[in-house]
Amino acid sequence: MLGPIEIEVIRNALTAAAAEMDVTVWRTSRSTIVRELLDYSTAVFDAEGNNLAQSARIPGHLNSMSHLLRELLDRWVDPDSWGPDDVVITNDPYCGGQHLPDITAFKPVFHEGRRIAFVGTLCHHIDVGGLAAGSYAAKAIEIFQEGLRIPPVKLIERGIRNEGVWAMIRQNVRKPDLLLGDLQSQIASLEVGAAALRRLATRYGAAGMIEAGARILDMSEAAMRAAIGRMPDGTYEFTDFLDDDGIDLGQPIRLQVRLTVAEEEITVDLSGCSPQVQGPTNATLASSNSAVMFAVMCASMSPGDEPIAANAGCYRPVRTIAPEGLVVNARHPAPVVHRVAVTHRLLNAMFGALHQVVPDRIPAAYYGNSYVCTFQTVAADASREVLVEIEIGGSGGHPAKDGVSAFASGMHNNSNIPIEMIESQMPLTITRYGLLPDSGGPGARRGGLGLFREWRVDSERCFFTANMDRFVHPPYGLAGGQPASLGRLILTREGQEVALQPKADNVPLVRGDRVRLETSGGGGFGPPEARDPAALARDVALGYVTPAAARAAYGAGA
Amino acid sequence: MAVTASQDSRPLRIAVDIGGTFTDLQILDARSGAVWAWKTPTTPEDPSIGLMAGVREAAERFGFALAEVGLLLHGTTIATNAVLERRLARGALLTTAGFEDVLEITRHVRRELYVLAPDPFPVLVPRDCRLGVPERMRADGSVETPLDEAAIPGLLARLEALGAEAVAVCLLHSYVNPAHEQRLRALIRAARPDLPVSLSSEISPEIREYERASTTVLNALLAPVVKAYLDRLEQRLGEGGFQPLVFLVQSNGGVCSLATAAEQPARLLLSGPSGGALAAGRIAELLSRPNLVAVDMGGTSFDVSVVQAGRVSVVTQGEIDRLPVRLPMVEMRTIGAGGGSIASVEGGGRLVVGPRSAGARPGPVAYGRGGTEPTVTDANLALGRLDPEYFLGGAMKLDMAATRAAIAERVGTPLGLSVEQAAQGILTVTNANLGAAVRLSLFEKGFDPRDFALLSFGGAGGLHATEVAAEMGITEVIFPREPGTLSAYGILYSDLVQDLARSRLLRAEPGNLPAIAALAAELREEAEARLARDGVAPARRVLELAADMRYHGQAFELLVPWGEVAVPDAAALEMLRARFHEMHQQRFSYSDRNEAVEIVTLRVTAIGRLPKPDAAEAAPAARPARKGTRRVFEAGAWRDLPVWDRDALRPGDVVIGPAIVEEPFATHAITAGWSAVPGPAGALIARRV
Repeated sequence: MLGPIEIEVIRNALTAAAAEMDVTVWRTSRSTIVRELLDYSTAVFDAEGNNLAQSARIPGHLNSMSHLLRELLDRWVDPDSWGPDDVVITNDPYCGGQHLPDITAFKPVFHEGRRIAFVGTLCHHIDVGGLAAGSYAAKAIEIFQEGLRIPPVKLIERGIRNEGVWAMIRQNVRKPDLLLGDLQSQIASLEVGAAALRRLATRYGAAGMIEAGARILDMSEAAMRAAIGRMPDGTYEFTDFLDDDGIDLGQPIRLQVRLTVAEEEITVDLSGCSPQVQGPTNATLASSNSAVMFAVMCASMSPGDEPIAANAGCYRPVRTIAPEGLVVNARHPAPVVHRVAVTHRLLNAMFGALHQVVPDRIPAAYYGNSYVCTFQTVAADASREVLVEIEIGGSGGHPAKDGVSAFASGMHNNSNIPIEMIESQMPLTITRYGLLPDSGGPGARRGGLGLFREWRVDSERCFFTANMDRFVHPPYGLAGGQPASLGRLILTREGQEVALQPKADNVPLVRGDRVRLETSGGGGFGPPEARDPAALARDVALGYVTPAAARAAYGAGA
Repeated sequence: MAVTASQDSRPLRIAVDIGGTFTDLQILDARSGAVWAWKTPTTPEDPSIGLMAGVREAAERFGFALAEVGLLLHGTTIATNAVLERRLARGALLTTAGFEDVLEITRHVRRELYVLAPDPFPVLVPRDCRLGVPERMRADGSVETPLDEAAIPGLLARLEALGAEAVAVCLLHSYVNPAHEQRLRALIRAARPDLPVSLSSEISPEIREYERASTTVLNALLAPVVKAYLDRLEQRLGEGGFQPLVFLVQSNGGVCSLATAAEQPARLLLSGPSGGALAAGRIAELLSRPNLVAVDMGGTSFDVSVVQAGRVSVVTQGEIDRLPVRLPMVEMRTIGAGGGSIASVEGGGRLVVGPRSAGARPGPVAYGRGGTEPTVTDANLALGRLDPEYFLGGAMKLDMAATRAAIAERVGTPLGLSVEQAAQGILTVTNANLGAAVRLSLFEKGFDPRDFALLSFGGAGGLHATEVAAEMGITEVIFPREPGTLSAYGILYSDLVQDLARSRLLRAEPGNLPAIAALAAELREEAEARLARDGVAPARRVLELAADMRYHGQAFELLVPWGEVAVPDAAALEMLRARFHEMHQQRFSYSDRNEAVEIVTLRVTAIGRLPKPDAAEAAPAARPARKGTRRVFEAGAWRDLPVWDRDALRPGDVVIGPAIVEEPFATHAITAGWSAVPGPAGALIARRV
């Protein structure tokens, strides 16, 4: 029987192992998407596939890898024939994954002849084939168009590379050297994690490791149950909408959450969500669960509560109900590459419900989408350069403070690209980049501001691709706070302004065209009339709120 | 004011390191090689008062005349504290029109994933004080929109109305073409000669607008604050014939003149760890240990720096209070673990140590200043590793009864452990965390801990060093002399260092040699001029080139040393490319000689070598090295362990663990399986048996 000291030492060592795995991926991967956008995660699991420790990178990855591994062990891979030198990979959303660009690799760790753990890495790969470069087609209507599907398969078996699988991947993707290089780094990272766990096991034995894993999960479960136990019992509902799926334009997609707190458990019923859609704005259960868990963990870990170690123990008191065939649990062969849009909106809806449970903790809606757009410039000599931009908006007003302007929130966590770097590398000029006045939802606590960014095409031709939302349904306010602004995309050509569709592939642009993106702010919290006049005066002085909006929305100076 | 001449006539040099609580001094007499250490309380309201007090006390104690001091090397946290406490000038920021908000938009990535009420990144110049200037440069340095001088009178009126005391200017692509920034300053100066102006093209002339703006703003807002301090300091000079040349410690591990510090105070930010890293570099040399991982454990933090192949690891950017400072600085990994770190039992029965700290006030329970939560220091005391009667050489009595009671109440009882088990548990958890931090610092650079020796210093480091080393398979631990004032010791041996940089995105190919050579020549010329201005004789100047490089398509760069290249030619460029591939292989496990390589920034490190008189070996104190024994809880039981007097150890003495080694400001645990002997330069060297 291990004491509490050993448990804490082992818990920290598992976290350190995940961190070493993380550094290994960062150190050895090839593509910019992994290395610079840091779109990957690493984790350590117990022998049954429960997440024990993870590197903190992308909320959308966290809490989804355990779901996938347990699905593999239950249905797709015979655990008894999964040896210590076998690496299993998959990217298939319909085997427990999220979307095709995410390839996850797992490896079991043995000691004294017993399986004591698994280690896993998830990387967003630069391209896995399909309709569009980057495997991010906005107009796919079935998963077969989205790229290569890799079922759970042993990429390495008894320490030997399964060359057939490597060759098949190589033939089906646009940047094979980058993808296989990144995959190689995932494998290196697995070995680093396995070595760290074996080091630990020589000190504590196989039985010690298994006991420690169980106790670590139990502790987080207990802490989570205590946090939920302090929440008032009841059933709480909230609904938010995605604008559309990019195919059936103007047809909103409903994300409805029915959240029940009963003593120390939470049940999240998603049965009221829209049926799955034709376009790629669908999610599998792994994605939806990750949004549900992220919301509940945020609500349970607010200041004042004791810190909870994030692991699979936290999941135990939370149950998700999501019938197959809905947008939150799409049925094969629905396309799913834009699952991030579904998870953003599901998270918005979860927070809306949780606001009724713990009203002092939950902010109004954040912008709730990844403003992804791509410029592919084509010079006179036909040479091409590609820029992928991911922009953000404002966070929601919180019961205790204003939202934060231009703040990476919710399911994603990316960095922007310096203007000077873009202009040094390709024929594009950024003509303006700033905070957008009046974009934050009015409220006693104002929502953070969204931003605007304007690109000018300096090449002969350019193709523009976008995938965005919240152009129709704004981020909501809470407790009497007002919604934030809507997003906008405007093309200026020869002095004329035209609105661009927020979900569009390959819009042709020419030299001198300007594309302006405006992102949503966060919703307001509490009635605008209740805003401290000094805070409002400061907003006006700093230009966060225009005098006209101060009068119209806040009734100031009337 | 030739540095060398003043040295010869006035043989003393003093290094001062001003910390939050104490001002540490080390004094070197070049005639005898004697080195003296002194400590005096810091005077936060004006640190130069404490500095002068320390100098006078030391002069009296060690018997030297103030007029004999030729050099004062001054480490100060005045800039750091001014930022952390927001005692800054009221400033304005001028940007290219349309980009006034870049400073507030930042780079997006959030640090805390689960926080629902996030704090914004600090913005030191509010939105109404950020003014757009009609102008635009392109990435190649050509002018797209000329500077609109008609807008200047309006701008000046606005600065007046805002009551700006300092101005930062950061225009797009000014790192390529600074003409608009320079013209703006000239126009502002003509109207307002009193207003200090910081140009981004001078403070941090590198690509990436947000980082450049942040650094420039910090510089501008610090300028009046640091200037006022330096003026006060200069006024105090001259008292009692104390008229040394004064140099200030920068974050890059070198020192700079008063004039440079006044103009570029951002270079003083994050200079705190410089002294320790300098000392590590010095010790690496003296002990012929080219690979050292240095750990500085104080009251609240544990700082890890790395010396590899004799060089202190340096990075090109750091941060203070979440604000980027893009200037070269000593690379440091800091975790919140120190003697004052609090141990508590959290949800589900977890024993958590740190990052919460009791700090200096109230401090550990043992200090008897009102602390109620047990700390790492308390755990060491409860196990007998610290002597309650000999803390700080006996200057402070520790309260054993209160310490044991607090550990029992807050940790032992909730976990069902005895006081000893609970205290041992606190140390076990702490050592594992410290070991993980050290391992990660080396691992992320592709180094193997087994190739390194551990250098342990700071007031709290010695009690943990051998156990932390054992965690990682490190078999040698070095305890330098005077571990509590080691930073000052490092400063004693510093050089003048000025870092200059220019960004220009260029393929590292022979066709670009003329452009690269021109850039290098420009940098060298400025470097020579700066060293000349600081009075460095030509024979003492060293110019080292380096380049920030990457494969085409990457978004971050590797700092590749180029050495003392006078004029880059094809062979030198090939050497640089080869070194880049090699470093990329070492750090990232792959390289590709067929891929295009880019230079993003060219750098010159201009070094003015200060003379380095040798220190004499300190003679052992004339008293027995064995002080006796003490009851210490070790390996599960109370045992009598030998206690040694560090200052009385002489060649031939062998400290066999488990044993305790004491000196006035630090205690070291030589745990079982280790033995320690006195080494060169007063170091105590422990090896795994």
